[in-house]
Amino acid sequence: MVSVSLQDDNIRVKVPKGKTLRQVAATTGASMEFGCRVGDCITCVARVKSGMIYLSEKNEKELKALEILGGNVSQLRLMCQCYVRCEEGEIVISYAV
Amino acid sequence: MVDLITKITKSVDFIGAFDPKIRTFDIIMKTANGSSYNSYVVRGSEGVAIMDTVKKEFSEDFFKRLEFMCDYEEIKYIVLHHLEPDHSGALIELMQKAPKAKLIISGRAVMMLKGLIKSDIEFEVANTGRIISLGDKTIEFLSTPFLHWPDTMSSYLHEEKVLFSGDVFGSHYYDERLFDDEVGDFSYAFKYYYDHIMRPFKQYVLQALKLYDTFDIKVIAPLHGPILRTNPQFYIDKYAQWSSEAKFRKHEFGKKMLSVFYMSSYDNTHLMAKKIMDGADSVEGVVASMYDLASLDEQNMIDLLEESDAIIIGSPTINGDAVKPAWDLLSCMAFLESNGKIGASFGSYGWTGEAPEMLHDRMRWLKFRLPVRPLKIKLIPTEDEQQSCFEFGVEIAEITMGKMVEMEMEI
Ligand SMILES: Cc1cc2nc3c(=O)[nH]c(=O)nc-3n(C[C@H](O)[C@H](O)[C@H](O)COP(=O)(O)O)c2cc1C
Ligand code: FES
Ligand SMILES: [Fe+2]
Ligand SMILES: [Fe+2]
Repeated sequence: MVSVSLQDDNIRVKVPKGKTLRQVAATTGASMEFGCRVGDCITCVARVKSGMIYLSEKNEKELKALEILGGNVSQLRLMCQCYVRCEEGEIVISYAV
Repeated sequence: MVDLITKITKSVDFIGAFDPKIRTFDIIMKTANGSSYNSYVVRGSEGVAIMDTVKKEFSEDFFKRLEFMCDYEEIKYIVLHHLEPDHSGALIELMQKAPKAKLIISGRAVMMLKGLIKSDIEFEVANTGRIISLGDKTIEFLSTPFLHWPDTMSSYLHEEKVLFSGDVFGSHYYDERLFDDEVGDFSYAFKYYYDHIMRPFKQYVLQALKLYDTFDIKVIAPLHGPILRTNPQFYIDKYAQWSSEAKFRKHEFGKKMLSVFYMSSYDNTHLMAKKIMDGADSVEGVVASMYDLASLDEQNMIDLLEESDAIIIGSPTINGDAVKPAWDLLSCMAFLESNGKIGASFGSYGWTGEAPEMLHDRMRWLKFRLPVRPLKIKLIPTEDEQQSCFEFGVEIAEITMGKMVEMEMEI
């Protein structure tokens, strides 16, 4: 499983391949914010401080959101859209963007 | 006939509208003195920018003032600092009248725009640092999200040191004399506006103030009420103070506050509350307290919730629900910021026992962090069950103190 650290909440959770970060938030009770939950509102944008390669490729909605946000967005992802795509690895996430 | 000229600075004019009769704003606020929807025109050597519009019903006043100040041809930009209808109400009409103007909104406003204006219109997104030019005038944008809508931004007119702050620093206070040094005493309205609109977003207020601090501000031009020109720092300091004050001295000693709220008819939930509090209080660095919801009034609830780092709510299950005071307590969160607060729920029950789960779900929607499952005990807690209440308290208190929570998700 992939170890996901939610820095702002002091949570470290082992996550099986295929789970979205939204499912991770729901299971752990993390304080991450969500709005629409379908990739339209950008509320759930968070910073992946390390381990981006263990997450799914950015989908169309994410690419569009990042384009709207502009600037340096290389570490940003929508937590309601991306999911863990590997069996092993380590991901560190911070909600501050 | 409206009074047509109101000069704010050399190249900024007021083109907003007055609403002296309004008594309730946004359903939630009382506005004894009415209000105003402030809008401004900024003139540069190569065109003008319109900063926000007004509520739809007041479009006529707005356009009259606007037409007195400029031709529609001259409008290069229309800036909306957030999309709430009290400031975007005249947008569509304005864009029809000034088809060459470019609409500027924040990134977070993009999806909202579609919800608000059910047609496609062109716009540009401004993030922090984006600058637009009107020839000899430059306007710089600052992202100040969640104050009080997610898409809020502010802007700064460099040459005349004017901060367009959006609803931040606003007051619902109608007075056509317009400037803070000329209007009546609006201090209560300034504070009331902060308490009802900005208080839930204190952390974002502090972030915004940090950004504002990098600019030399001579005039604050908010979207409601008086324009602040005598000593802008005075108002900035007020916001800083209100947003950082902890009423309780415990925080000053570096302690974390954990509050157990409960209600109990036959003392079973009360006994659980007591054990949970004892457990929590045994953890170094935590001060735990308990409160009977039966005798707390709303203002006390709001203050206690605000001061607490962790909030644990206990309710028996009565007719398949948690008791009303528990829901009333959670309703108070609308006035506060819950992000990052730790929450948990518990209760004694007879046969179905859904109250703790329901409170837990509600707290999830209110964006509490909920690290432990609700604790339910059937009727009278046994010795063992009392011990598990104690441990429940210990666990939540340790997490409040920053203990790393290790978990594993099921496949
Ligand atoms: C003070 C205030 C706070 C609001 N807070 C939220 C919110 O937290 N979440 C949300 O989705 N919409 C929020 N809104 C937006 C309203 O839900 C939205 O404007 C809605 O269309 C109002 O419906 P109504 O016309 O029936 O009153 C808020 C609006 C106001 C005025
Ligand atoms: S919650 Fe709206 S984009 Fe993720
Ligand atoms: Fe507003
Ligand atoms: Fe407003």
